[in-house]
Amino acid sequence: MAESRLTNTELERALRELGSRYPYPPTPNLAVAVRRRIVARPVAPVRGLTLWRDPRRLALAAAVVLVLAGAAALISPTTRDAIAHFFHVRGVIVSRVSPLPSLSPVTPLNLGRRTTVADAQSAASFTIGVPAELGAPDAVYVDSEVPGGEVALAYTPRAGIPLVKQTGLGVLITEFRGDLVPGFLTKEVGPSTTLEETSVNGDPGWWVAGEPHLVITRIGDTDYPVTLRMAANTLIWEHGGVTYRIESSLSKAEAFRIAAGLP
Amino acid sequence: MEGRPLDDLALVERARTGDVNAYEALVQQYQQLAYRVAYQVTGDAADAEDAAQEAFVNAYYALGRFRPGAPFKPWLCRIVANEARNRRMAAHRRTALAERAHWAQVSGEAAPSPEAAAEADEFRATLVKTLGALRDDDRLILSYRLFFDFSEADMAEALKVPKGTVKSRLSRALTRLRDALPADFQLSSGGTIGG
Repeated sequence: MAESRLTNTELERALRELGSRYPYPPTPNLAVAVRRRIVARPVAPVRGLTLWRDPRRLALAAAVVLVLAGAAALISPTTRDAIAHFFHVRGVIVSRVSPLPSLSPVTPLNLGRRTTVADAQSAASFTIGVPAELGAPDAVYVDSEVPGGEVALAYTPRAGIPLVKQTGLGVLITEFRGDLVPGFLTKEVGPSTTLEETSVNGDPGWWVAGEPHLVITRIGDTDYPVTLRMAANTLIWEHGGVTYRIESSLSKAEAFRIAAGLP
Repeated sequence: MEGRPLDDLALVERARTGDVNAYEALVQQYQQLAYRVAYQVTGDAADAEDAAQEAFVNAYYALGRFRPGAPFKPWLCRIVANEARNRRMAAHRRTALAERAHWAQVSGEAAPSPEAAAEADEFRATLVKTLGALRDDDRLILSYRLFFDFSEADMAEALKVPKGTVKSRLSRALTRLRDALPADFQLSSGGTIGG
């Protein structure tokens, strides 16, 4: 039987011939849609991620910044703010961008594998917080490619919790080890979005509200985003190395009520 | 369909400075390749379109970290393949079983069956179906080399593997394809699959 089988050369030739006749569907015109989703601006907007991806360089840079911080804080309020932003919530980089690129309002969430809280807990290296205010989530996702795991709790819209068109959900809560992935999540905030430093349960956080902002996530040394989408009102904070994020169209007070049931 | 590398370099440089027209020209040049690469991964037309579109948008915002002078095509294909994998995993729309059924269906549609070409059609259909059952990496390396005519350097970049391993990976993929083919699978008369 073996002698009748194709050689590599024959198989390669057969594949080359197949390639020209492969039953692909017709190619759609992507150029128009892509153009609509990007805007005219230089394309080096994501600052410092190379640095953040490399723990050794990050440690070195952090040491340098810390040494300089004391002096800087005395010299310039602007510098002091910039440093505060750098270290505010681990796993998150927030920056003001003008103009903000326009993306389709609905892009895939890429939340990972759908599962249960119990299964997600076995995959995550932290204790998953489920807010008492909302109760059991309607869907749970886990992304094990994020170091330490990223868990997403999805709540569908209901009375008092309106639909968020960016997510198709009422409330989306994500939790990940911000201490393990310093450059995981970047938020780009346009001029019409409120960006407020805040304190959640005594921990440092951000309240981002108003016009949707851009969220970009990256894992490891990939040079392209896992997620790139517009996001609604978001409360984000860090407690004990875990970064928590609540996205909804709720008010700040309502978001804080949900956060009160989390670590 | 594809631009020359020198044209690509100029277009990429212009796109990096915010020239959307330059980027659109790149999208037009590579949309067929991107779509077909995505289709090789997803096996679904709508998913492939979404993945290719998302990949072009993501690639635009990643141009700032694109190594100047590097070839655009394999870099783009890496993003496309990754996006297509994400899409397929995130969608959870097809079980492995449904996927096999899908590939069987695609292979059935591979060509209308005029009687004279029946043998070639069957040969092609079997090949498409067997390719569809291979793992992504094997299907991608075979596609890059034999469908899209990538150089070894471009394959290495697109698959993010060391250049020295491309030949052996290709050879292993061919072996796995041959092993997965029916035992009686042979070239049609005349030694080609042309029908």
